[in-house]
Amino acid sequence: MVFSSLTFLFFFLPLALILYYISPRSIKNVTLLGVSLFFYAWGEPVYIALMIFSALTDYIHGRIIGRYREQRPLYAKLGLLSSLVVNLAVLSFFKYADFLIGSVNSIIGTGIEPLDLPLPIGISFYTFQTMSYAIDVYRGKVRPQKNIVTFALYVSLFPQLIAGPIVRYEIIEKELMNRTFQLSQFADGVRIFIIGLGKKVLIANTIGQLWASVESQGVSDLTVLTAWLGIIAFALQIYFDFSGYSDMAIGLGLMFGFSFPTNFNYPYMAKNASEFWRRWHITLGSWFRDYVYIPLGGNRKGQLILYRNLFIVWGLTGLWHGASWNYVLWGLYFGVLIGIERAGLLKWLEKLPRFLQHAYLLIIILFSWVLFVFEDIGEGIRYARVMIGLSGNPLYNTAFLYDMYTNGILLLIAGLLSTPLFTKLWKRCVERSEIVRNEWIQTVLQVLFFLVILFLSTAFLVDDSFNPFLYFRF
Amino acid sequence: MKRLNTIMIVVFAVFLGGIACMNLLAEDQPFSHAENRSLMKFPKVSLDRITSGAFTKDVETYLSDQFVHKRFWTSIKASAQKGVLKKDNNGVYFGEDGFLFEKFEEPSEQLDANSESISRFLQKTKNISVYGLLPPTSIELYPEKLPKFAPTASETAAIRRVEEQVKGEIDWIDAAAALQEARDKQIYFHTDHHWTPYGAFIAYQAAMEKMGMRPYSLDEFTIRTVSENFRGTYDAKANDPFLAADEINIFEPKFDVSYDLDIDDGQSKMDSLYAWEFLKKRDQYSLFLGGNHRTVTVHSHVKNGRKLMIIKDSYAHALVPFLANHFEEIYMVDLRYDHRNMAQIAEEKGIQDVLFMYNIANFAEDQNLIWLRQ
Repeated sequence: MVFSSLTFLFFFLPLALILYYISPRSIKNVTLLGVSLFFYAWGEPVYIALMIFSALTDYIHGRIIGRYREQRPLYAKLGLLSSLVVNLAVLSFFKYADFLIGSVNSIIGTGIEPLDLPLPIGISFYTFQTMSYAIDVYRGKVRPQKNIVTFALYVSLFPQLIAGPIVRYEIIEKELMNRTFQLSQFADGVRIFIIGLGKKVLIANTIGQLWASVESQGVSDLTVLTAWLGIIAFALQIYFDFSGYSDMAIGLGLMFGFSFPTNFNYPYMAKNASEFWRRWHITLGSWFRDYVYIPLGGNRKGQLILYRNLFIVWGLTGLWHGASWNYVLWGLYFGVLIGIERAGLLKWLEKLPRFLQHAYLLIIILFSWVLFVFEDIGEGIRYARVMIGLSGNPLYNTAFLYDMYTNGILLLIAGLLSTPLFTKLWKRCVERSEIVRNEWIQTVLQVLFFLVILFLSTAFLVDDSFNPFLYFRF
Repeated sequence: MKRLNTIMIVVFAVFLGGIACMNLLAEDQPFSHAENRSLMKFPKVSLDRITSGAFTKDVETYLSDQFVHKRFWTSIKASAQKGVLKKDNNGVYFGEDGFLFEKFEEPSEQLDANSESISRFLQKTKNISVYGLLPPTSIELYPEKLPKFAPTASETAAIRRVEEQVKGEIDWIDAAAALQEARDKQIYFHTDHHWTPYGAFIAYQAAMEKMGMRPYSLDEFTIRTVSENFRGTYDAKANDPFLAADEINIFEPKFDVSYDLDIDDGQSKMDSLYAWEFLKKRDQYSLFLGGNHRTVTVHSHVKNGRKLMIIKDSYAHALVPFLANHFEEIYMVDLRYDHRNMAQIAEEKGIQDVLFMYNIANFAEDQNLIWLRQ
């Protein structure tokens, strides 16, 4: 079940909230755990066993590591190792086995049958969370959780279960054990959730249609400008989709009393690749920084080690996004760019006017999405060639003009919304105007604003399910 | 701030809860007239279906199928999209003067395969005259009413392509040219992918000329408006609440006629070319011959011994009322449901004429002509 669905909005969410808030304080965690497991089982009835297995093994590992880390460090180390092995084994088996088999087959020409297992939803997110837990217990940053229900709740908490953010145990440790209801927190949750829903349903889904239509035209028939338009549409789609999903998760978290970390901070406002990754999927970037890059020595062990570390971290970051070579390449592309930026490009870039710095970032990001979106790397390269004008395709055609003016307003809105412009304007209004600061006017404006988004999102979701004439055309 | 937060939460709760309750309380509808299809009922529960995930998937379909006031919500979406200058919805263009159009995609190899199927059919028929009628759809006739720059492929080129590809004895009836001349008349519905009886009448005259018969002229019919609230398939996709509905005008002969329809080889009978009950439903075009059937045999008052077989899509339904006044028997088959050897059946039934009748957009994509090759 996804958050942006009628089932979630009008069936699961009201039910979950009612159950949670009528539960007495002592069993709120049990209720939320039950609700979360139900949520997970909804999409993956069988993999619920996997989730319970993960929760149990990580619980036991946490206890072992915690018990021995002071008296018998070796045992603790073995416990950590075992935890990492189990987590990575689960992740590799379900996510990467077929990729490995396919790669082996194509390299040495064997004919091993792929497993064809469906990917358990959210596995990349929750295995990363539990690994961070085991490592943090080992490092003494957090104390192991002794209550199995509380720990299982951490692993399966439904708001961030399937698309992040990656919430480390230390961040919500206190809230897992003790939450108090705060009106303002719940209301913020409602606001952030609705914003996220609107981002996903009203913007990502509609602009996604433009990308889908460009993609379906086939690379060889694309005009240069259509190719640019298409990848811009994709860039906006993936940003609004992903950040919208994170916002919904954060909003839901707040409704149930949890504060999750921010995951996106206007990434397209960045001025270079390094900054982009401090603004895009922040919890993933910091996970790799804290659990891979720094333990490997980071930038403190000389140039050579630094570049090796960048290579490893970015290769893995790419691979995390999907079991296919183009994702690895996509990760390495950023690794190389960040390497070059560190080696001196950054200093040079900073001397340029700001708009050129932004232009640099946007161009490298658009090409990165080409790499990201085509699993067939050859196809991606052909697409990039069309963009650069190396393929001899025409500059534009009437279909481009049509796409442009029928999507122009949407593109403009989406473009502006990926900057902090409107938020700033609103803040300025509140600061400058006595009238806007009036509580009743605030209330009316805000309620209207959020209600309109909620209302339109519902309309867009309903039409999504509109299945006209099955025997259409006959 | 406290008041603001409280109101915000209450509004959110009332919105979600209210719609949830409305859905909970609403009775399940077995059928959607707006979409013209059966709606999902609450799925069956079984351990098997639960573990495979089929149950939960069906529940989601069920909930969205049965969502209350669907038409209201979808029209909100259409209006919002118009507001941002979107000129199409679900693949249907919003044209000028209330016209909806469906984009014609550059034909795929399916078109070539379908031409080949007809060629194969022609190899098997002896002493039978075969005719082909592939009318264009509305988008080809009114390019100037399309949104500016809207891309669409040429149907005329596709029709040419078929005419050139098909090998063997076949006479092509040039409906496109005749329709072009009559483009100022209501020859296509604005909200549906079909032509109107008027459009069919134009093609009928062209067909009669090819078949060497004298067609009835316009003044030998009374034109009667039987519906003013027809919203067709394009409308269902476009979901534009502000669009005017279509009229349906049927042609009633001034001369004496009588027909006798046999549906699906004796499954049911009709004594009229029109199934009036469909005027009360969404799919009003099914007024003509009662919609899609495997086979329909029309016996008419004409006793000239001539028998015509029509291998067709639903465009034929508006045409047959005219043809029925010239043939003693018309045998219509729909290859989607009928996979018999048509060349052999034509011979067995003593049929003299065969007509292939598909609109070109449908012909380009239909996957059932392959049955002609057996």
